[in-house]
Amino acid sequence: MSTQSDNQTASAVNRSSGWVIFVFFLIGLIASMITGWTAFPKLLYSTKEQPIDFSHKVHIEQLGDCRACHFFRDDGSFSGAPSLDECKDCHMYPMTGNPNEQKFIEEYIEKDKEVPWLNYAEQPPCVFFSHAAHVKGSDMQCETCHGDMGHSDSLREYQENRITGYSRDIWGYSMLPIGEAEHGPRQKMNDCAACHLKKTGSKGDCFQCHK
Amino acid sequence: MKIDRRCFLSFVIGGALGTALTPVPWKLTDDIAIWTQNWPWTPVPEEGPSIYKKSVCTICSGGGCGINVRTIKGQAKKIEGQPDYPVNRGSICPLGISATQHLYGPSRIQSPLKRAGKRGEGRWEKISWDEAISTVSEKLSALRNQKKPHTVTCIAGSDRGTVAYLLERFLTAYGSPNFIRALSSFDAYELAFSLTQGQQGTLGYDLANSDFIVSFGAELMDGWGTAGQMFSLYPGNGKKSNLVQVEPRLSDTAAMANQWIAAKPGTESALALGIAHVIVRDNLYNKNFINNHCFGFEDWEDKNGKAHQGYRSLLRQYPPAKVAETTGIDKGTIESLARGFARAKRPVAIGGRGGHLASGGLDEALAVQALNALVGNINQPGGVVVVPEPDYLSWSEMKTDKTASEGLRQPRIDEAGTDKFPNTRFLLNRIPEAINRAKGESPIQALLVTGGNPLYTMPNTEAAKKAFDKIPFIASFSTYMDETAQHADILLPNHHFLERYEDVPTPAGTPTRVIGLTRPVVKPRFDTLHIGDVIIRIAGSLGGFIGQAFPWKNYQEFLKQTLSKQWETLEKQGYWVDSEFIPPRWARAFNTPSGKYEFYPQERNNPSGKDTDALPGFRPADLPGNPDKMPLTLLPYSSIRIAGGAVANPPFMTKTVDADVIRNNDIFVELNPGTAKKLGFSEGDAAILKTPAGEARVRIHLFEGLMPGLVAMPTGLGRNAFSSYIAGKGANVNALLADIAEPGSGLNKAWASRASLVKA
Amino acid sequence: MTKQEQHTSTKRYGMVIDLDRCTGCGACMVACYAENNVPFSKDESDKMLTLNWIRVFKVDNGKPFPDTEICYIPKPCMQCDGEHMDGHSPCVSVCPAVATDYDHLTGIVSQIYTRCFGCRYCMAACPYHARKFNWWDPVWPAEMEKYLNPDVSVRMRGVVEKCSFCYHRYQKARNKAYLEGRDEVYEDEYQPACVEACPTKAITFGDLLNPEHQVYKLSKSRKAFRLLEKLNTNPKVYYMTSKKWVRRKTDNYIENESPGETRNSSKTQKASH
Repeated sequence: MSTQSDNQTASAVNRSSGWVIFVFFLIGLIASMITGWTAFPKLLYSTKEQPIDFSHKVHIEQLGDCRACHFFRDDGSFSGAPSLDECKDCHMYPMTGNPNEQKFIEEYIEKDKEVPWLNYAEQPPCVFFSHAAHVKGSDMQCETCHGDMGHSDSLREYQENRITGYSRDIWGYSMLPIGEAEHGPRQKMNDCAACHLKKTGSKGDCFQCHK
Repeated sequence: MKIDRRCFLSFVIGGALGTALTPVPWKLTDDIAIWTQNWPWTPVPEEGPSIYKKSVCTICSGGGCGINVRTIKGQAKKIEGQPDYPVNRGSICPLGISATQHLYGPSRIQSPLKRAGKRGEGRWEKISWDEAISTVSEKLSALRNQKKPHTVTCIAGSDRGTVAYLLERFLTAYGSPNFIRALSSFDAYELAFSLTQGQQGTLGYDLANSDFIVSFGAELMDGWGTAGQMFSLYPGNGKKSNLVQVEPRLSDTAAMANQWIAAKPGTESALALGIAHVIVRDNLYNKNFINNHCFGFEDWEDKNGKAHQGYRSLLRQYPPAKVAETTGIDKGTIESLARGFARAKRPVAIGGRGGHLASGGLDEALAVQALNALVGNINQPGGVVVVPEPDYLSWSEMKTDKTASEGLRQPRIDEAGTDKFPNTRFLLNRIPEAINRAKGESPIQALLVTGGNPLYTMPNTEAAKKAFDKIPFIASFSTYMDETAQHADILLPNHHFLERYEDVPTPAGTPTRVIGLTRPVVKPRFDTLHIGDVIIRIAGSLGGFIGQAFPWKNYQEFLKQTLSKQWETLEKQGYWVDSEFIPPRWARAFNTPSGKYEFYPQERNNPSGKDTDALPGFRPADLPGNPDKMPLTLLPYSSIRIAGGAVANPPFMTKTVDADVIRNNDIFVELNPGTAKKLGFSEGDAAILKTPAGEARVRIHLFEGLMPGLVAMPTGLGRNAFSSYIAGKGANVNALLADIAEPGSGLNKAWASRASLVKA
Repeated sequence: MTKQEQHTSTKRYGMVIDLDRCTGCGACMVACYAENNVPFSKDESDKMLTLNWIRVFKVDNGKPFPDTEICYIPKPCMQCDGEHMDGHSPCVSVCPAVATDYDHLTGIVSQIYTRCFGCRYCMAACPYHARKFNWWDPVWPAEMEKYLNPDVSVRMRGVVEKCSFCYHRYQKARNKAYLEGRDEVYEDEYQPACVEACPTKAITFGDLLNPEHQVYKLSKSRKAFRLLEKLNTNPKVYYMTSKKWVRRKTDNYIENESPGETRNSSKTQKASH
């Protein structure tokens, strides 16, 4: 032991002082925090453009209601984004001079090709989400989960997690799962369970939402 | 200032701490966990609205069950029974449910193909439809130029409906009499009906209303007739009916029957005659029917004053004691069965073996049908009826040129309808012999195979294949790469039944007059063409009167026009039922020379001229082979879990087969434990099964439910085509069976084969 | 009744299989494969390795010809309630990952493939061999992926799977009920694929607690019994047969003990708990 402490004293002269070490510590800390908070999200998510821009606002003004396009089928399943056939009902021929409509007609209607919309709220394939249970059974509003989509004039960019392949909306735009989310609430399993616990008194069993 | 190792460490620690204070580790952990749950190579089926489409399944030879196909975004997802369909009432068989696997599976022929290598080698060259059609047309045209139109033969899966109609019309316009229906277990029974009742049509058994069914080997629950229909009628399905199954093996049908009677194989006709003996002896027969509407029951005199024996005196040769000895059934059982049958309100006797296609011969069919006549259940509820063809618009007016007329005058190659076998309509089993017998070139110069997969389903398959080798031109219209297609020169693939229109008239066994409409459920997936369109196009390119006989733009137009009376209903509900069809009353029912039901069928071809040969009788088939060297009898059996006909098992069906039927690529034959012990076999042993027709490597499965002395082998295995999911599994039992032409009818009487088992 | 109370009405879905009506055709198995995206392979003869959510077993009475009888026994997951009817079924109680769980609203034992890590403890615990392991990644040759059903997730290599009583059909039926403002799902709205496919209608399915459902009465019939009743796993799959030897085959009995006695004695035992 004594030899060791001797050595330490001897080498103390050649050692960097405490504040230098602390500075390095801080550099490490701050650099990693900056990277983690700013660069990491950019690295983790790739940004994708929707195939064409779409104004929910214009359509709501014309059609009056979300359900004109996003409706329940007779069997109780939810239609989600409208199919090309449904769009064709109005857009077989141009209705406005809008370049997006023109693009839609030229590239999709005329070629009879479905629009590859990027679904912000797409759940993993093992999830069974019942719109009927939430909208019909519990009288929830579309905005509660999807944010105020109906008044948007333009589609926001779609961010895809490079690892999981899922939309950023599921985790939420804030990197921390706390606080209010930007575009409607987060939609991970724990979020579903928390809401279920609050509203029904039980998180629910696995099969309630899994398939 | 000095930067040393400690600074670096401090930097790392700071970095680690900082990272821990960012979302990086937590988010990455979560994301990686999610990634591990979603391997990118695990498919995610596309969601969309479920749309159910009605159609009619025609995957098996007895086909004709109404189906509801669930589709999503134009893809067929699942096949379910159609509850209101008049044939099957919602019940369908496992083969029908797995038809989507054939639709999307690897056995499809994806475009017209021309043989590139040697026959059967499996090397093909992709060709266009124009080239395929012109190749066939040129070949056919050349044969006509050589004045040999009658050397063109067509083997079809069915002789009913518009596609068969088109094919027959084409052959007539072209000048060939050789339209041949593939082998069917109904061949003998249809012939028996036509001889005794003078009626041509589909056989209908009103099993739903029958209270006593005696089945002479008809494996009702193992794929006989239209499987879905048989299941929907299953005794106990709402009604209490009594099923007696006569069969040497405890089949699934025998297991479900109220009584299982294990008669020695091939003695079914003796048993039927023994039962008749008791019914007549005890005066239990239907007096009204026998006295007023039957011919040949009593001894009779013809117009030349010659005395003939009748059915009643024939039966004296079949007293229960003697029949008991022949059949191996207890005398008391025969007596009580006869009484039970005759005393039932609505009894019916039914025959025709199941999935394997040996008909059992005309004698057996006549003997069984006579029982129905004895109890007077012809055209009665719960009995048997002959269902006539639905009335399609007929297109009879057709001109034929001289070449065609001369060709049509030539005798049929299978000798059906010739002096040799005047009663019989089709004799596919006679084709190999006809080819081998011919001196010089093959009597068939061009063969069009539109169904039936003969190179798998024919008895003595290898010999048939050798005979087919002598045919210079074989064209197959098969949807799948089946055994016959594999052996063809040119392939003109038909759409899958889920991709095409076709009418399905009353399937065999059904007592109602019905037409079903097979409709496209999905768009054609490959470069295939409807066979009807191909025939119309070939006719068009041959031109002349042939082209004129086919004035329709395409098959669909022809179909719509032909079914114009029923089309609206067909489009709307998917089927059409002739609600006005009532089986004719006895006084007007029979179209025989006597105008009555003929126990003594006067029109039956009877080369010997003896009365006993005209009447039904027990004449055991003289199976080839030396009984000392081949002491066992090979009995083919059908299993509802193995598709035994033209189409092979899809993977789903093979998955359901137990490991004591197929293990790896080995097929198991069943053997009674007693027989096995004598031969020195135990469960699982490998053996070579030999018959006069060939041999196969098998393994032994001990089954108490099989009569001693028999070897039972399932049909439907030993495929060498379709896909690697079925090819190479086991052996084809058809290849081990012989063909014995029944004198007079030419039907194959060989329901089994002599066999021996030696250790492998 | 408020709408949220829908979540709390408890059901116990179960089935009654009439063995006298089963012909062994295998339509239930094939319908299940098609409905539930069950994969297949080229060689399916090793039944320990192959995937089946329902399998039809063939049994015989062992008597020599011609007194032999055979019977087919279709066997899906038994959806055990556990000894105390509280969902403590053999598999659920051993799963270390909560990948299998007892659904208290329906009584159905769930299996979440994305949660399962493949330890196969549940397979060892299940006395009915109802659980199967994915030893390989599934392969759908040619275009067969096209027929896959989007209502059921496709499994990956390394997870356990089993019959779910076609739970996705329940979810769909409930969707429809919600849409039509109903609280309950009708009996015929929720029927598993095997039940629907059975061509001889040998299988009856419904809520064992609902006196209006057919299974309620059938499951209480004197002919009804369950497999390995003695283990007190309380399966929700009942069988019926008129053949005594079949009844004996479905459990391990000591000599001279009749199946009926066992059932009653096990009930008394339960009552004394």
